[in-house]
Amino acid sequence: MTRGLTIVEPGVLTTVQDLGRPGWGAWGVPVSGALDEEALRLANRLVGNPADAAALEVTLAGPVFKAIGDLAVAVVGGAFGTAPGEVIRVEDGRTLALAAGPGAVRGVVAVAGGIDVPKVLGSRATCVSARFGGFQGRRLQKGDVLTVGEPFGPPMPGRANVPRPPAGDVVLRAMPGPQEDLFDPQARAAFWAGAWRVLPESNRMGIRLRGESLGFVETAALPSEGTASGAVQVTAEGQPIVLLAERPTTGGYPKIATVAAADLGLLVRTAPGRIVRFERIAVDEARRILAEREASVRAGSAR
Amino acid sequence: MRQAGERAWLLEWAGDESEANAKARAAAAALRAAGAPGFLDAVPAARTLLVLGGPGFDAYPLGALEADPPALLPGPPPRAHEIRFTPDGADLDEIASRCGLTPEGFLRAFTGLTYTVGFLGFQPGFAYLYGLPFVFHLPRRPSPRTSVPAGSIALAGPYVGIYPGVIPGGWNLVGTTAQRLFDLRADPPFLFSPGDSVRFTA
Repeated sequence: MTRGLTIVEPGVLTTVQDLGRPGWGAWGVPVSGALDEEALRLANRLVGNPADAAALEVTLAGPVFKAIGDLAVAVVGGAFGTAPGEVIRVEDGRTLALAAGPGAVRGVVAVAGGIDVPKVLGSRATCVSARFGGFQGRRLQKGDVLTVGEPFGPPMPGRANVPRPPAGDVVLRAMPGPQEDLFDPQARAAFWAGAWRVLPESNRMGIRLRGESLGFVETAALPSEGTASGAVQVTAEGQPIVLLAERPTTGGYPKIATVAAADLGLLVRTAPGRIVRFERIAVDEARRILAEREASVRAGSAR
Repeated sequence: MRQAGERAWLLEWAGDESEANAKARAAAAALRAAGAPGFLDAVPAARTLLVLGGPGFDAYPLGALEADPPALLPGPPPRAHEIRFTPDGADLDEIASRCGLTPEGFLRAFTGLTYTVGFLGFQPGFAYLYGLPFVFHLPRRPSPRTSVPAGSIALAGPYVGIYPGVIPGGWNLVGTTAQRLFDLRADPPFLFSPGDSVRFTA
């Protein structure tokens, strides 16, 4: 019997995502993929999928879907539905509602077997901005029917979730960025000491922050260069944007810092309106933290 | 070489921008051909090459690549494109007068030149072409248009750009082409690759 799911309510922004399509940057193609890579890896692990299986990325208000065939589902990365971090059995014909609990911003819904959409340029990820990949190149809509593959293996016993942002200010570790020297000492000090509010205008390209302006930075002579995940670029108005998985491949804004990859998921899980601060760490330390994090994600725990 | 993340490195070249870009393209092609363990991507831009690695990628050879990029390109040879276009750009008259020419005179000069695809970015398939003489280097428009027609051929700074789809943009519009720059039904899906040569015919 074919497995799948029918979208009853699509939620605010629900898309099919996997680990993305690196390797096409020279042709201007965004990497795309889940904004919260750790949540995707863990959700896939919970339902017995390989790490690169396609899942649903849900935003602000999760979807309601109806199972076609019996499904095993795991929701990771936010308080969506009633049992985040657990394997949920959804029997044929039953519906699962993934309404957001308090503070839930983005999450990943993995289904045993993975969401079966065609690979485009090597990935099943939706590129929302360029309208390709995923399910028909777009966010899911009411009535969409998605096919789910054969389960890969047994679900993982027990519960696991990625950490929620702590109460109070969210501290993100970050390295100095490639253009830190374009900012005067006052602007640099203001960036590292500042309280930065997460704006609701954030999207899959980047998280927009607002705080005391870092001032105008002369960028006319700054040529376009490739953009890395986590780069903190500063706009002409002196406000930072942290670049995420669907960032344009090149850009001409100066980058004052790069958020440590190990803390990018935390930022993605932080609700609009909350305050983030940056803690400066050296690149070597960030590398060490990332290697540790990757080892623990492979081992199946969140930390 | 600058650090752009735990496993992201920016190689950079000084001097003339189109020459620096040629070095970035050559270094990108070399990395792509070598396919070292953990290599994820190499993104050439104006005067930099962003190298992205995964676990196990060894960045040590990047220093030598920056110091001495290869002169000969490995990989597929560049292709030559002829792009037919309609000179219906909203800014054509203004571009011509800023260059001290009539629209006809500008188009004659513009179509007589051969350009090189320096890099792509901004959107899938959006191409930045070098080869524009200095007198045709114009600033971006003071306020960007909210929507630029798909296939627009436009000028800004040292670049000729081609817009793959309807997107906002602040470049000076020369005309439009019906050629698709990014088409997933085509093989390859991208008309241009870095290093290709382009001529325009009206």
